[in-house]
Amino acid sequence: MSVNNKIAWVHLTSKIRQLIVAVLSVTFGISMYIFMNSFTGGVNDAQAELVFNTMAHIRVYNDLPKEAQRLLPVPEGRDTVQFVSNPKRIRYTEGIKNAGPIRELLESIPDVVAVTEQLNENVFFHNGVSKVSGSLSGIDVESENQMFNTAQYMTEGDLYELERRNDGVVLGTGLADKISAQMGDVISLSTADGILKAYKVVGLIETGASSVDKSRAIISIQAARQLLSKNRSYATDVLANLRNYNDARSQAQRIAVSIPYKTEAWQEGNSQLESANTLRDILAVTVSLTILIVAGFGIYNIMNMTVNEKMREIAILKAMGFDGKDIVQIFLVQSVVIGFMGGVVGLFLGFLISVGVDHIPFKIASLNTLPIAYNPIDYVMALAFGLLTTFVAGYLPARKASQIDPVEILRG
Amino acid sequence: MRPALSVNNIVKYFHEPETIQVLKEISFAVQPGEFLALVGKSGSGKSTLLYLLSTMDTDYEGTIDINGTRLTGLKQNELARFRNEHIGFVFQFHYLLPEFSVLDNVMLPALKLGKLSPEQIRTKALELLYKLDIKGHENKKASRISGGQQQRVAIARALINDPAIIMGDEPTGNLDSKNTKVVFDIFRQLARESGQTIVAVTHDDEFAANCDRVIEMVDGKILAG
Ligand SMILES: Nc1ncnc2c1ncn2[C@@H]1O[C@H](COP(=O)(O)OP(=O)(O)O)[C@@H](O)[C@H]1O
Ligand SMILES: [Mg+2]
Repeated sequence: MSVNNKIAWVHLTSKIRQLIVAVLSVTFGISMYIFMNSFTGGVNDAQAELVFNTMAHIRVYNDLPKEAQRLLPVPEGRDTVQFVSNPKRIRYTEGIKNAGPIRELLESIPDVVAVTEQLNENVFFHNGVSKVSGSLSGIDVESENQMFNTAQYMTEGDLYELERRNDGVVLGTGLADKISAQMGDVISLSTADGILKAYKVVGLIETGASSVDKSRAIISIQAARQLLSKNRSYATDVLANLRNYNDARSQAQRIAVSIPYKTEAWQEGNSQLESANTLRDILAVTVSLTILIVAGFGIYNIMNMTVNEKMREIAILKAMGFDGKDIVQIFLVQSVVIGFMGGVVGLFLGFLISVGVDHIPFKIASLNTLPIAYNPIDYVMALAFGLLTTFVAGYLPARKASQIDPVEILRG
Repeated sequence: MRPALSVNNIVKYFHEPETIQVLKEISFAVQPGEFLALVGKSGSGKSTLLYLLSTMDTDYEGTIDINGTRLTGLKQNELARFRNEHIGFVFQFHYLLPEFSVLDNVMLPALKLGKLSPEQIRTKALELLYKLDIKGHENKKASRISGGQQQRVAIARALINDPAIIMGDEPTGNLDSKNTKVVFDIFRQLARESGQTIVAVTHDDEFAANCDRVIEMVDGKILAG
């Protein structure tokens, strides 16, 4: 151990109570930082989870062209003015004719954890005299379930029944109410092209998003293709989920280049969710950084007191030949040790608080307990900010100590 | 022979509360192994001069050389290093570090210098403490021994790096006559046997009378010594 560290160590250990107070203030700051950010992270994830029950991180679909197609060449020169009256944007192809290659392309991306195809269409549901409009989702049961955990939301029946029979339909609970359909009933669907077909209700589903539950019915994608007389590989949407939903925007941008359809990240249709998440993050970081800075003031105060108490010792050290840098080191090491000890204990305490809160019952929507996210980055940042704060808080008194004029003090 | 300490035309002012000249063109030289006493009335500038010689105060005109090294104009960290290696300082009040053991207090300047291993430094510090008759107190806190013992520990600390020159500002000013004699004898022996130069401010006539040379200060000037 170098002399300076030895001196720092003696200073630290000669006032145990003061040391404990300083360490605890850092511990408190860091554990609060972790808890605040884990909690907001948990809330954000819970919100996102509600949304991602029915929505994928990335959606590929056939969009309207941005501009009407030009029918005439742009005139040359400035003396010709061209008018095309009432140009229309026309979608020349509908849906995605061949979804296979797109699906394969998405699956080949390492960050993509799930891919599924859907065939979505607006239809009318008939049961006896009731007639209700809604949306019909043709799904690939296996991959749909992998992506959205759809089977988990079934209140009655079995989602996989759709794979076994082409005339099975699963209704949202709200939709079933509207047309007063029950398990086992036979209802009929009519498409915009006027095709009418009967289906048997093989299940009811409740995702928690009531607008969806009130309007959506599910059949297998094969059955949907038959109903709408589409080819074997037709889909309206190819959906992909990523490891981290926050990466959707950048991934979508990267994928878009190699796909001739519109590639859209979830944020585009859901800016309110994204902005709420961001605001919560800002709030958490602000509050927790404030707590850390208050802890920093605590350390500053304690180190300042230590320096004031030790004026004479500092003067003696200087008289013996310790220079300004040594003195800075002696006091800076003390605050960094305080920061590190407080930091490590704070990491554990923050984790324990988070686990504790994670067990507090909170039964609203899909939640059972208060939501907590365990992100390693929160712990890394907490320690980094904690060390930075103690470093700054320790540096100022240390510099003051190094500037003490020994003559003034030793002259007595 | 090259002087151990040579002082040339030193002038020093204090500007607070008003500008006064405390040292007025002081010049003298001290030979290696010389035991010099600096005497004079209170307020005559002895301490001020000694702090200049110790390199801790650098705000002066004139030049100071120790062992052929021009100290005037060196940077603070260079001076600190020089002080550590070549100057031992003993104050009127012992000024030990109270939270450290007696042994640690003695070892610190040598650990800072870093020329010997901690083990060697320890051995040397213990030898010094025994020589100064402080046996059995090595591991006590420095604040837990008597005043006379503390002053001897401070001397041991000043000696640990074998400095060329030892300075004392009334090193016996706080001691009874018995302890004063002990300290005086140690200084005497150091000058004679190890050839170390001693410059000590004192009010004690008997102490001064037994030194090799006495320099008397009056109002910031030195009378012929
Ligand atoms: N820091 C200071 N500021 C202003 N005047 C000082 C300061 N230190 C000492 N003096 C003045 O300088 C003169 C010499 O003081 P000092 O060297 O302590 O004398 P001595 O040690 O011989 O008693 C005295 O008049 C004293 O008042
Ligand atoms: Mg004095």
